[in-house]
Amino acid sequence: MSTTATHQAAPSSSAAEERAGAGDKAALAGPGALARLLEPVRPHLIGCALLSALAAAAGSVPYLATAEIARLLAAHGTAVEQDSVRLWVLVGAAGAVVRLLLVYSSSRLGHFADARILHTLRLRMVRHLGTVPLGWIRSRGSGRIKRGLTNDLEEMHQLIAHALGEMVAAVTAVTVGLLYLSFVDWRMTVVTATALVALGVSYRIAMRSATRHMNRLLAAEARISTASVEYADGVGVVKAFGAGGHVLRRFTEAVREHSSALAAWAAETRYSTAAARLLASEMTLLGILAAAGLILVGAGSLRMSELLPFLVVGIGLPTSINPAIHGSQGLRKGRTAARNIEALLTHPPLPEAPAPRTPRGHAVEFDRVSFSYDGATPALDDLSAVCAPGTVTAVVGPSGAGKSTLAALIPRFYDVTRGAVRIGGVDVRSMDERTLLSSVALVFQDVMLLRDTIAENIRIAAPGASDEQVRRAARSARIDDVIEALPHGYDTVLAEDTGLSGGERQRLTIARAILSDAPVVVLDEATASLDPDNEAAVQAALSRLVRGKTVLVIAHRLRTVVDADRILVLDRGRLVEQGTHAALLAADGLYRRLWRAQSGDLPA
Amino acid sequence: MIRHLHALLPQPRLTMRLGALTALQAILQGLLLGTLAPILTALLRDRPDFAAARPWLLAAGAGLVLYGVLTVVATPIGFTAASEVSEQLRDRVLRHAMALPSGWFTARNKARLARALTADAGNIGQLAVSTGGPALTAVLTPATIVLVTATVDWRVAVLLAATMPVAFLALKRAGRISSEVETELENAATDIAGRAIEVGQAQPVLRAAGVGRSGTPLMRRALAAHREVYRRGLRRAVLPDLLYTAVVLAGFLAALALSTGLFLTGRIDPPEAIALLVLTVRFLEPLSNLIELIGALHAMDNAIARVQGILSAAPLPAPARPVRLGPAHDITFTDVTFTYPGARTPALTEVSFTCPAGSTTALIGPSGSGKTTVTRLLARFFDVTGGEVRIGDADIRDCDPGRLLERITMIFQDVYLFDDTIEANLRLAHPDATARELAEAAAAARLDEVIGQLPDGWNSRVGEGGSRLSGGERQRVSIARAFLKKSPIVVIDEAASALDPENERAVSDAVRRIAEDPDRTVIVIAHRPATLEAADRVIALDRGRVVQNDTPGRLRHVDGLYARLHGRYRAAGAWRITGDRPPRAGAEGEPWG
Repeated sequence: MSTTATHQAAPSSSAAEERAGAGDKAALAGPGALARLLEPVRPHLIGCALLSALAAAAGSVPYLATAEIARLLAAHGTAVEQDSVRLWVLVGAAGAVVRLLLVYSSSRLGHFADARILHTLRLRMVRHLGTVPLGWIRSRGSGRIKRGLTNDLEEMHQLIAHALGEMVAAVTAVTVGLLYLSFVDWRMTVVTATALVALGVSYRIAMRSATRHMNRLLAAEARISTASVEYADGVGVVKAFGAGGHVLRRFTEAVREHSSALAAWAAETRYSTAAARLLASEMTLLGILAAAGLILVGAGSLRMSELLPFLVVGIGLPTSINPAIHGSQGLRKGRTAARNIEALLTHPPLPEAPAPRTPRGHAVEFDRVSFSYDGATPALDDLSAVCAPGTVTAVVGPSGAGKSTLAALIPRFYDVTRGAVRIGGVDVRSMDERTLLSSVALVFQDVMLLRDTIAENIRIAAPGASDEQVRRAARSARIDDVIEALPHGYDTVLAEDTGLSGGERQRLTIARAILSDAPVVVLDEATASLDPDNEAAVQAALSRLVRGKTVLVIAHRLRTVVDADRILVLDRGRLVEQGTHAALLAADGLYRRLWRAQSGDLPA
Repeated sequence: MIRHLHALLPQPRLTMRLGALTALQAILQGLLLGTLAPILTALLRDRPDFAAARPWLLAAGAGLVLYGVLTVVATPIGFTAASEVSEQLRDRVLRHAMALPSGWFTARNKARLARALTADAGNIGQLAVSTGGPALTAVLTPATIVLVTATVDWRVAVLLAATMPVAFLALKRAGRISSEVETELENAATDIAGRAIEVGQAQPVLRAAGVGRSGTPLMRRALAAHREVYRRGLRRAVLPDLLYTAVVLAGFLAALALSTGLFLTGRIDPPEAIALLVLTVRFLEPLSNLIELIGALHAMDNAIARVQGILSAAPLPAPARPVRLGPAHDITFTDVTFTYPGARTPALTEVSFTCPAGSTTALIGPSGSGKTTVTRLLARFFDVTGGEVRIGDADIRDCDPGRLLERITMIFQDVYLFDDTIEANLRLAHPDATARELAEAAAAARLDEVIGQLPDGWNSRVGEGGSRLSGGERQRVSIARAFLKKSPIVVIDEAASALDPENERAVSDAVRRIAEDPDRTVIVIAHRPATLEAADRVIALDRGRVVQNDTPGRLRHVDGLYARLHGRYRAAGAWRITGDRPPRAGAEGEPWG
């Protein structure tokens, strides 16, 4: 949460969030999102699944071999053919070796597909994000983008790397086991299968109300999380006022709610959960199979030798199912993640101009501009104004008047609802986006830096610039000496711990803007005062940047723009006054009232 | 690991009970499978001998019933134990955090703390039950089966027993490598997260440079490098896992070969051989499951290590017999030297000064000069490395930390409000305040204007962290708290008040009122010329040393840091945005001249 949020930004950005949220819902992907995203590696995944299945089948062989040996011994006793016993031992060993080889190949293939699809999807996301409206990214996208590129993809990785193979293997192992057993004795196989079905049913019953309980648990977890973040962030307050009790109370309440939610779930599903756990254990199957088998043996309709395979292979079947249960949870998570990623990938791009036009001149013109974030309440209403080349135009007004919105329309963070914004006579929507953005320098409160060297951060605005030009821009932005003092100078790679202060980072972006020499500068005046220790240097850099440019400045402190060539006074999205400082004071309107409010009791 | 967990829990009773139950079940499971040996031996004779099998069948039946009962009993305990473990951990971590010095709470440590309190504590509880139980079973059941096997044939039992330590070594190695790989992948993911933020935040820059759709070359390289790290890591973890499986399978095959070999050479009878085969299979199965659990067990161990990392942070040393703070509130720094943990150069070097009770002292200096450090040491965010800080006659390290903070109010840059009403946030400072006291404090901080505009007035909620209020409004709340708390020492950082004009006026008025109060000793990190001029004394810091200490009146005429910064602040206050032309003459009205 930005602590620098001014009155200006707050209402507009929340409105934008709502709008973006509505857009997301419309773009929600269907159930096939996962399949579509995994398309490029489908052959690999199929191969991986096949290998997993074969591996699981091979993995059953040692058990089957053991069962067969036991059967032979039981049937023939000491008269057994020694060679067939030896053969089965060898078969079992071969099965084990083949299993290891197949598991290895299947993981290799799976990991290859995994690394490849994650990389492909990341590139796709980066590419697509390069086309969506900047306003969406700015107001809401940052967190979404991070989640899409990291957490969501991680969950898909879990699915590809583990869940898929586990589920296929479980199903294969159970199928192979039952198939083998059915050759031994079909009645006993039916008993075994029935026990497995009962396991499935009781698991279902135990999980019947899972969604409801999970939601309650998740809500409690969210409360715990909020309370702990609150404690960590508010620790200064907590300590200074001895308010520990207050926080502790919220925290313990949330923790208690979590425990009681869990207890409620446990109480409700007490028997079905116990039943599922019982049926999933080898012991239950041991009991059932031994009882059924011995009854049949006692009745003379089953031989002991036929009971043995069930004791060797049958008892182990529930254990084979467990991974499938884990796998299905992974699949569910993977699906959700895939939907999030697809929503990101299908967010509508900013419409491109079919035949881009090049602006002539650098005048910025707002022609009867209306704009609304939510389609209902206008943020700007029928506003017309011209910023002549080489002049400074200031935008002032009370909170929520639409100052930031107006500035955001020039670089097409959003497109106008009605009217047009033009640069050099050309509608910004008819311009190539790169041409537009490279002719407008943006200096906002959020500093836009890349995790690259300082030199590249400045140079990115003018890719062909020489080292000397980069240095000159840095000197103009009063940041050269700070850079030189860093251990690696201009080759320092920027990271969170580079040790540059807020004002210094701002000056880096100003150096970049100076180097780009963009003819239009859109500036938020508050940037100058964000870092008081650096205020003078930032101001000097800004003064150098705006020289000779078409400047639109969002002004919070009226004093800084008294020399502007023209001041636009906005109120609730409308242009209510415009003129020079002197003329506006004389007009005795909103501007004069704002001026008086800011200068306090001093006479205006 | 069990030891680690045990050490973390203040009251491990329930967990112990669950562990005992699980162990009992595991051993019972081994014994039940063991009854197969005598039963099979009896029934596999040429004519099944049910009479000989009967006592074993009855015992097995009773055992199965007991197993079922234990499962039914253990299931709800599992649920409760999971939440109890989490609850105890959360409680312990939070209590420990409360005793930590404020300086510990860096952004990174705050994130660590939040993670420990939420995900880690939750996962440890859940994993202790969902993974710890099966892991215990996967070890104890095979061990019991080995013992049972020994009653049939000692050679096979020895072979199975010998498999276990080898398997555990392989398991340990697999665990270690998978944990290393996990760390590698986590680091790689952090790097990608940084790139993702860059994609989000610097998008306009990327597009202006024409690389919006491809990312910068460095970004493309980072993504490709990540793919390699990832692939390598995944590959590296495969073989150790397979090695474990191979060891277990080899043990199994050896036992199979041995049992059949013993039979074929006529040393054991068919029924015994069959019993051995069945026992070997039942031995193998749970043991091979361990590898499925190892990942989760390591995740639990890592989570435990993170929680322990927080619990091992040293709390603020509290004196055994705290000295009472006297009525005098002059502040004295004597030869104070301080180096931040992990830093090489000191942030303050031999700083000495005195703030007389009731006076206002302004701290000034360029960024990084140590102004903020001075205020942090006063409030014991950290303890000094050398020298001492006194309030009245008492060294602050000899006072009770809670009592010390009762005397100090800090009005800082980042004001944190709790997601509650304005009134509740204000009352924190003085829980028993009357409505009138609240109203007075609000008026003094000009918070009443803000409250008047809110839909629910005093009952308006401020949002998470105070997000529904602007920075300046939040700061007014913190100033109102200061008025309400009536603490004799106030520390103010003017920085954030430089945001929007209305709030700046409100804040500067309030600060002036606090400073003029003769009962309060005020230290202010000053950026406004007016504040500097109104201070009783100015201390100028440069690179951690006091370079000037005098009244503002005298310092104004001395060529030094004060004169330089004062001039710079004045100039900054008069800055105007202009195009090419020189500033217009005679603009009317000059707010704050």
